[in-house]
Amino acid sequence: MKRLVAILMLALALPVARADDAPAGIVVIVNPASGVERLTRSEVIDIFLGRYRKLPTGQLALPIDVAEGGPERAQFYQQLVKKSPAEMSSYWARLVFSGQTSPPFQVPDVKTALQLVESNPNAIAYVDRAAVNPKVKVVLEIRP
Amino acid sequence: MKSGPDKRAGFAAFLPRSIVARTSLSILVLAVIMGLLFSITASWRVRAAEHDRLMSRVDELASTVESTVSVACFVNDTKLAQEIANGLMKNRIVAGVTITSGRTILFGTGTIIEANARAHAKVDKITRPVYSPFEKGPAIGGLTIYVSHEEIEAQATAYSGYITWILSLQVAIVAAAVAFLVYLLVTRPIKGISDELHRLEVASGVQIALRGRRRTDEIGQLVGDVNALITRLTDVLQKEHQLRVAQEISERRMRLVFEKADTGILVLDPAGAVQSCNPAFVRILGAEAAEPNVRLADLLAPHGERIARLIGESRASGEPRDADFEIDRGGVRGSIWVELSVNPLGHNLLQGLLTDVTERKRAESAARELASRDTVTGLLNRRGLDASLANLLTTNTAQHPLALLQIDLDYFKEVNDTFGHEAGDRVLREVGAILERSVRRTDVVARTGGDEFVVVLPGIESVEKAKDIAVNVIAGVSVPIVLSAGRRAEIGASIGIALAVPGEGASALLRRADTAMYTAKQSGRGRVCLAQTGGDEPPATHAAA
Repeated sequence: MKRLVAILMLALALPVARADDAPAGIVVIVNPASGVERLTRSEVIDIFLGRYRKLPTGQLALPIDVAEGGPERAQFYQQLVKKSPAEMSSYWARLVFSGQTSPPFQVPDVKTALQLVESNPNAIAYVDRAAVNPKVKVVLEIRP
Repeated sequence: MKSGPDKRAGFAAFLPRSIVARTSLSILVLAVIMGLLFSITASWRVRAAEHDRLMSRVDELASTVESTVSVACFVNDTKLAQEIANGLMKNRIVAGVTITSGRTILFGTGTIIEANARAHAKVDKITRPVYSPFEKGPAIGGLTIYVSHEEIEAQATAYSGYITWILSLQVAIVAAAVAFLVYLLVTRPIKGISDELHRLEVASGVQIALRGRRRTDEIGQLVGDVNALITRLTDVLQKEHQLRVAQEISERRMRLVFEKADTGILVLDPAGAVQSCNPAFVRILGAEAAEPNVRLADLLAPHGERIARLIGESRASGEPRDADFEIDRGGVRGSIWVELSVNPLGHNLLQGLLTDVTERKRAESAARELASRDTVTGLLNRRGLDASLANLLTTNTAQHPLALLQIDLDYFKEVNDTFGHEAGDRVLREVGAILERSVRRTDVVARTGGDEFVVVLPGIESVEKAKDIAVNVIAGVSVPIVLSAGRRAEIGASIGIALAVPGEGASALLRRADTAMYTAKQSGRGRVCLAQTGGDEPPATHAAA
């Protein structure tokens, strides 16, 4: 059943990925003032999926999710942990129920996410490579 | 009779007597033993299998919660961990759960269990590493599920109990079925045969019916064998009956012979004692013959030695021997003659036949007497003299020669003519008495003719002695014999004496004596004349006075 759902999800996601895949990938960005140069894939997973809420420097990490429905969010999680948006919702639902961990802070669009990273040294977000500006620092390039 | 074997049997006395009961009991005991062995093995196996089954169930439980546990471990969520653990522990099989993330224990009832178990016994648990739900890599935590031993035991026991119950049921059913079959196929037919045998009268020759039993099986064979046995038995019984009847008749006949025979029949043991005897034996020998263990030699006293010899001869030769014995019973019975015949019977026993031959002996003796005695005087006659003389001459010796007196009465014819034959006989008897008085008892006196007498004097000391006797005789005879009132017979005698020469025969001796007697008569009666030993010389005569 699970597998069937996964295949179904993959089939739905595939045309989307193919359309946006060609120009550029998703990158993880932080405020340059955070002092973070690079993040490993594991560190990004730990932060975004609620294991740790700390940057390698020791500062608090504030992960930012783009609102559901946007192509970046699905692409990001798909490429990072091979999970569909539905799977991610289910994952967070379990954790929210216990109330100990919370999902990343949610913003309506990529623009808001960029603004938050530009202004907050603790913030960490993912955007399309094309949307990167000099006020943010790319610390990991997500490749499928 | 019953108490002996029962006491001895002891344990066996408690066993049932019927084959059905015994077979069923045996099968039951066997089945119970087998069942117990099987149950023990089964319960051991079941326990192991149950353990494995429950462990794999726990493993499955672990798999079921794995993804959630990995999430809980990933985010170090103790609440979620507790939720999972509570869920797991709703299974009775789960005794405790420990969930760790890194070094942190998110949830841990297991540690207490582990501490307890270390003090008591081993603890079954399943430990699984927990990986990140999102990426491959080293384990980020662990899940340990502790298994409840009580539950394994309880389940295993319940399962074993169930198996044991099923087995017991099977054993009971099999035992009952076997008992029924044994009853149907073995006991009932055998009981039937036994009942028929009880009613059976062997002599009648009636056989046991097969009655629906198959001829080919063991019971059928048994019936066949029993019938064959009955036939043989009937045959044997009939033969035996005939034999017995024949033997009874023969025995009765023999007994009749034994009881009624005039001949005494007896069996002698090796010591010579009478072991058994018939009434005739007692009749012949008197009441003491009926006493137990009386010796034959004592009964036939004083012939012990002869009897011993007779028995010895018969034993040695193995053939019958017989002899006559004269025994003096004393009293009225006086002397009797018996003929004893002994015959070896084997086993050192002897059969004796005892016949009373007294009558025969008396008749014989009377006949012999009659033949050798003179009927008038009772003295020996000519034949008796011949026999005695022949006998005496064989023992004649030169030292003590035999003397023979030939006596002829003088004037006897006159007495006969004057007074008659009866008076003559009376005179002859008187002369006989005188002669017997004049000689020894061992000497022989005979009347050889009308008025001729012969006296034989064996072993005489001298011729003179013989002459003396002759002179005495003449003197005795010459005394007148009173016949009746006023009648007297006066006679005399002439005597010739001959001394037997060794080797001389009776007739020669008698001739010489006769010649001498004639010489005496011619020389004038009442004289004694001695015969010459040589022959022709005239004999010397001596006057009696």
